[in-house]
Amino acid sequence: MPNSDAELRRLIIDWLDDQYHFGDAEQLIRDDEQSFLETGVLTSLGFVQLVLFLEQRLAITLDRAALTRENFDGMGRVVRHLRAHLGPASA
Amino acid sequence: MSLTGVAFALFLPLVLGAYWLLPRRAVLQNAVLLLASLGFYLSWSPEWLLLLIFGTVLDFGLAQVVADERRPTGVRRLALGVAVAANLGALLWFKYVGFLTDAMHALFAAAGLPSSATAMAVVLPLGLSYYTLIRIGYLLDVHHRRIAPSRSLLEFATFVMFFPQIIAGPITRAGRMLPQLRDARRLDPTRVAQGANAFLLGWWMKGYLADWIAPALVEPVFADPGAAGAAAHWLALGGYAVQVFGDFAGYSLLAIGVAALLGLELPVNFDRPFLSRSMPEFWRRWHISLNTWLFDYLYGPWVTGTGWLRGRIALTLVLVFALSGLWHGARWTFVVWGLLHGLALAVHHGWDTWYRARCRVDRRWVTARKHAAYALAAWLLTQAWFLGSLILFRAEDLGSVGRFLRGLLGQGTGFPAEMDAITLVNCAVAFGFIVVHHLLALPAAERVRSLGARTPAALRGIFYGGVIVWLLVFAPLGRGTFIYAQF
Repeated sequence: MPNSDAELRRLIIDWLDDQYHFGDAEQLIRDDEQSFLETGVLTSLGFVQLVLFLEQRLAITLDRAALTRENFDGMGRVVRHLRAHLGPASA
Repeated sequence: MSLTGVAFALFLPLVLGAYWLLPRRAVLQNAVLLLASLGFYLSWSPEWLLLLIFGTVLDFGLAQVVADERRPTGVRRLALGVAVAANLGALLWFKYVGFLTDAMHALFAAAGLPSSATAMAVVLPLGLSYYTLIRIGYLLDVHHRRIAPSRSLLEFATFVMFFPQIIAGPITRAGRMLPQLRDARRLDPTRVAQGANAFLLGWWMKGYLADWIAPALVEPVFADPGAAGAAAHWLALGGYAVQVFGDFAGYSLLAIGVAALLGLELPVNFDRPFLSRSMPEFWRRWHISLNTWLFDYLYGPWVTGTGWLRGRIALTLVLVFALSGLWHGARWTFVVWGLLHGLALAVHHGWDTWYRARCRVDRRWVTARKHAAYALAAWLLTQAWFLGSLILFRAEDLGSVGRFLRGLLGQGTGFPAEMDAITLVNCAVAFGFIVVHHLLALPAAERVRSLGARTPAALRGIFYGGVIVWLLVFAPLGRGTFIYAQF
């Protein structure tokens, strides 16, 4: 189970590679605040698939009300939202 | 009072004058906007103004209850349920009661049973489909704590009834509009220039493109499908794509432009849809405010929720687009149109899943997808599907769809009416504009775009002046209605 922020990032990049970018995801995401939707990293349909994947992989249920662009449109946003949900990383 | 009509040309300067000349306070600016919006709505549909006001006041009051954490959860949920049911109930009654009674009558007749159901013709209040979605979105956002409820009825009513958007959108969100209405707006020359630009482009697209193409190429053929020759049918179909795009994207630009002149920002509603290379992309570019609404309040919650639809992406797409079709109009043609688009999205999802599986094992599939031939085939397929679906969108009934399809395949002869040289030139300009408008958005046109931005103000002024003169000379008069206002 991913624990640190870096592991969560890796998990998302691996999923993006597996589903959409086939090895190019790391290059496409230039910084944490880059919008996934505006830069073609993810479409709105893919966004829903990412949520389903994260819920399944991390065995969590995300708050439906929090499934917004503010929380999911960008690597930093997703990681911060997951961190708030999962609690601090354990050592 | 049409946004491209003479009455509006007198109305808008009066509103702008009062709005910007009064002391710069949010409450005064909102009061001017609300009065203008009431006047605007009265000019269109005085008989339904009370319904609009009543529903707005009801939603404002119930949203306070929904947000009040001191109240029991059951009471808050009840308030939300009543508010949403009232909105949907009004929509169901005014928009669908005739359709439902007709369907029931047909069902009884098909089963050979006597039916006492009589066809009911109820007039649809103007803008009901739009303001219902705006208000339901607001209620759900308050319920989910995405936004705080508006504490000012003036502010909330101004948001719901804002005159540029009330009859045909864009479907605005409270989260974006209410903060703009909360503070006093400043007169910003850059925004005014952007607003004037959007307004002029919208006027061009609606008042010229759509209104030339429709009577010349579209209406004569669709009035009697199958009677004219195949070429006339193909031109009518292409013309209808230009008409509906010019009409609706044009209206959206007019609304965005007027809002910008008032210091407010409405969401972009169209983003060169004819460049799309897949149906999902098409729906991210066409009627964006409706599709993001459907995505945020129906598709997303259904697919990621805990219900039966969780994870059933293809089925949910079909369902949501069937509802989108029904939202467009209470006719079977719209339902089939929506289902066809839902089906196209579901097929695309299946294809995409299959293709991505190939990409995982062999990079050559990734390369093939980036090839120009793949892009061209994908573009052709997407545009052909949309174009074909427009027959359903325009046809009065399913029988006319069949006749139009036969017409496309070559039955019947000739054009329904002679076209004079002026009509031909204007139709060619309309088609040409759509092509250039889209091509200019491509990355390869960056140099041309920057050239436009570097053009001296005087030259730009002459160009805009020329466009206005062209519009005054050629824009047809007396065709002030908008296709999407009927929905």
